[in-house]
Amino acid sequence: MGTVCVGGVYPAGCEKKRDTAAHSLLIGSGRGVFIEITHRCSPTLKWLTTSESFQLSRVCDIRNTVGNVPMEWYQDYPHIGYNLDGKKIFKPIRNKDELDEFLDKMENPDYWRTVHDKTTASDIRLTDEQVDLVHRLQKGQFGDVNFNEYEPSVDFFTNEVMIHPVTNRPQDKRSFIPSLIEKEKVSKLVHAIKMGWIKPRKPKETTPQYYDLWAKEDPNAILGRHKMHVPAPKMRLPGHEESYNPPPEYLLTEEERLVWEQQDAEDRKLPFLPQKHSCLRAVPAFSRFIHERFERCLDLYLCPRQRKMRVNVNPEDLIPKLPKPKDLQPFPTTMSLVYRGHTSLVRSISASPTGQWLVSGSDDFTVRFWEVNTGRCMKTLEVGGAVKSVAWNPNPAVCLVAVCFERTVLLLNPSLGDRLVVSSTDQLITAYEPPEEDKEQAVTWALSEGLEHNMGHRLTLTHPKAVKQVVWHGKGDYLSSVMPDNSSNLQVLIHQVSKRRTQNPFRKNKGLVQCVSFHPLRPYFFVATQRYVRVYNLIKQELTKKLMTNCKWISSMAIHPGGDNLICGSYDCRLAWFDLDLSTKPYKMLRHHKKALRGVAYHRNYPLFASGADDGSVIVCHGMVYNDLLQNPLIVPVKVLKGHQITHDLGVLDVTFHPTQPWVFSSGADTTIRLFT
Amino acid sequence: MSQLQTRFFTDNKKYSVDDVPFSIPAASEVQELSNVINKLLEAKNGSHSQIEFDFLVRGQFLRTSLSNHMEAEGISTEDVVEIEYVERFTAPQPEECMMHDDWISSVEADSEWILTGSYDKTARIWSLEGKAVMTVAGHTDVVKDVAWVRRDGLTSLLLTASLDQTILLWEWNSERNKLKARHCCRGHAGSVDTIATDPTRTKVTGEEEEVEEPPSRPRKKQKTEQLGLTRTPLMTLSGHNEAVSSVLWLDSEEICSASWDHTIRLWDAETGSVKTTLTGSKVFNHISYSPLCRRLASGSTDRHVRLWDPRSKDGSLVLLSLTSHSGWVTAVKWAPSHEHQLVSGSLDNLVKLWDTRSCKTPLYDVSAHEDKVLCVDWTDSRLMLSGGADNKLYTYRYTACETDAGA
Repeated sequence: MGTVCVGGVYPAGCEKKRDTAAHSLLIGSGRGVFIEITHRCSPTLKWLTTSESFQLSRVCDIRNTVGNVPMEWYQDYPHIGYNLDGKKIFKPIRNKDELDEFLDKMENPDYWRTVHDKTTASDIRLTDEQVDLVHRLQKGQFGDVNFNEYEPSVDFFTNEVMIHPVTNRPQDKRSFIPSLIEKEKVSKLVHAIKMGWIKPRKPKETTPQYYDLWAKEDPNAILGRHKMHVPAPKMRLPGHEESYNPPPEYLLTEEERLVWEQQDAEDRKLPFLPQKHSCLRAVPAFSRFIHERFERCLDLYLCPRQRKMRVNVNPEDLIPKLPKPKDLQPFPTTMSLVYRGHTSLVRSISASPTGQWLVSGSDDFTVRFWEVNTGRCMKTLEVGGAVKSVAWNPNPAVCLVAVCFERTVLLLNPSLGDRLVVSSTDQLITAYEPPEEDKEQAVTWALSEGLEHNMGHRLTLTHPKAVKQVVWHGKGDYLSSVMPDNSSNLQVLIHQVSKRRTQNPFRKNKGLVQCVSFHPLRPYFFVATQRYVRVYNLIKQELTKKLMTNCKWISSMAIHPGGDNLICGSYDCRLAWFDLDLSTKPYKMLRHHKKALRGVAYHRNYPLFASGADDGSVIVCHGMVYNDLLQNPLIVPVKVLKGHQITHDLGVLDVTFHPTQPWVFSSGADTTIRLFT
Repeated sequence: MSQLQTRFFTDNKKYSVDDVPFSIPAASEVQELSNVINKLLEAKNGSHSQIEFDFLVRGQFLRTSLSNHMEAEGISTEDVVEIEYVERFTAPQPEECMMHDDWISSVEADSEWILTGSYDKTARIWSLEGKAVMTVAGHTDVVKDVAWVRRDGLTSLLLTASLDQTILLWEWNSERNKLKARHCCRGHAGSVDTIATDPTRTKVTGEEEEVEEPPSRPRKKQKTEQLGLTRTPLMTLSGHNEAVSSVLWLDSEEICSASWDHTIRLWDAETGSVKTTLTGSKVFNHISYSPLCRRLASGSTDRHVRLWDPRSKDGSLVLLSLTSHSGWVTAVKWAPSHEHQLVSGSLDNLVKLWDTRSCKTPLYDVSAHEDKVLCVDWTDSRLMLSGGADNKLYTYRYTACETDAGA
């Protein structure tokens, strides 16, 4: 395409009075006659011209006056319009064909500046000035070469201060003093800011805001419904047997008919009997029509019309991956022995360090010693009160059992096991020499003699208050006793057997003490009050840690033989496992029991711990503690051991493990002790 | 499949039938098969009287119907089934009940006398008819084990081991009924739970009793004769980590011990070194050895009686588990004259008589005891004994089949 149309409806010559430069400026804005410019040289060059410039450059004025009409209208005429005088402008004779055009293009050096004027149908050769003008316009310059668009500006008024003012009026006073109105306005604004009525402008959000085009789209809307469409059940199309005149093979024989009549409606292959009629006219009204329509309606009404998207969660996936109890053998699984003999509930049990003997204390005022592997009661000792706690000395070189009842802690020598150990224990006790200066002690130590000595009594520690628990230190020389009392600091006492000394380690009362325990390896001391477990360093005499159990009332506590873990049982059915390196909050909270926990215990060698509760069951868990600090303990419940009968709403009162075998003892309110292996 | 081709055979010539295949119903049980054999024998020998038989298919006792048994054992029913039949071992008949004052911890009987140890700190000697002959009192604590050592005519030597860490050697004259404590063996640092005497006691002048063990110290002792009243161990076998629960002599050179540390060890009696260790998974309560079948039977705290081969190099292989008890097996004893039979006592108050060819069900359950069974024994004179925590020692008479004796 080599043509560009510059539209204009104005007749040519209406602005001919303008000077050339000014007029040629207006060409750019499209004011001009209807000119068709054909460029014939370069496809990028566009030719523009005006009739005015023509007029100046041409001697004869052959401007066409037909106006802005398509030149095709004059196709069939010899002329193409009228000049200013009203004479016809005749089309020049044009007999150039394509070849001539091509030759012209090749040979004519002015071909590129020749334009075809449609209105006069003549070829015009542009002058140099016109070509320059076109070039300038193409570059966006002014048409006039001489026009300077950057002429210096001339102010109306000077900006210099003159000697003489324009007016001689003195300045107003108000121009010197601050404006009262403004002051009021400012103070109002300040007040409003102070009162918070005016808030600083919110910073403009710079993040571009998008919105979800489809957010509000209802999935049940047409689009969604189409997706989830379930078509209504289709009716079966009638077959040959439904025909009024079925082929004879579809008609039932007499036998088939009888069978059909005897069958139940559901068993029938066809719900009707095919019948033959001679003509359609003879077909009677269908008696079951209403019935069948109704059933069809029911089908439509009851058929599922929507697909329900059900999230299929495999319940197996929700269970945490734990090793199977089978792989965690050995642990106690069955009840093997029942130790019968007590006549009241058995509060406390303890196994000897060799695992051959078991001691139990009961509310029937007796302490009994049992042979573990036969269930034989070897010895029965009467004491003067309901036995609250018994503890066998963990040191295998000492044969001593601590028993507490009422206000007394009794150290017994059961005379079981190695004779040498028994006698050396007696020597150890009798070898005591009283110190020179007698210090006032919280308890009175008394050596048993005579009949009591023969019964096994060795030392009697009379406390000022009722004792609830005794516990040995791992080395077997120290023992601690607990006297729960809410209003005194004299709740926990630590006794040294060899020196017969007693100390009260605490100056302040931090709450009702439930139980205490020694750290198995380091000089730490654990004190459990109702809700907290405090860990004291006995050498530095300071509080090291305070463990929050989240329990309402702690009942029992056990320290892992490694010393870095601790379990707490509570009366609100929970068992809290603490990792002392990890946190002061429970690492795991186990709620396996239905009722209050009464006793917890760790095994000395195997990764096992057990808890006994008022629901009569002992739950054994695998509690593996890794040496690697990065690995948390693995806790897997492995077995629920049942056997104890619930008596007076009390089930299992104490649990303890066999020191070497994966066996657990439990004592219950049903007066028995049971061994699970 | 309703019929099976079977061929019956037996070792006992008295009851042998023709070696021809019979077709019998697959659903037949022991009683029906027994009737078949009796019919055959009657046809052969008019004077035959009805005898109960037991049947073995490939060395396993038939306890269910024949087809079920073969399905369970994976025996093809296409071929002719070889069925061995033996005269049924008759149920042991209760003979005597000997009342003690306290729990019976151990029993050992020989052909004339029964020796029992009791928790009342005494041992007792009974005649086989259940008459109390002698009370051996001398220990200051519970008697845990007893053993006959030797008998020279009317004079017998016997041993009692006690919780008081001593073993007493007694000499008893049965005619004058005089008892004399000859030696006191000391050396244990715990209760002596078990003793065993050397099988060659009749030849060796310095009779060796192999002693044993404190549930706290891992060692065993062997003693020899000294002139004084007190004897010290000849040798201490150290190696067990926990209490040794049972010891016995395999022969005059080998000692076998079972312990709470889940191992059975075989020791060389000359050097005192461990020869083999058999490792189990549970605490062993008692072991017994049969020279007839050269197997060890162990009773452990997990309800099973296990059979071991002490000679095998890969020692921890259990040959067979006999499972029927519901409590700890506290005592096991091989039959003195039958290579397949053993008796076991358990905390579930039952004494069970086993045939190793039927490991799922015992031959007989003897439920005489009302409390824990703690010890069992056999004698050559067809007497089976069991004692327990109900203070009663029961004896039962059994009749060994002639063919089985010495088989």
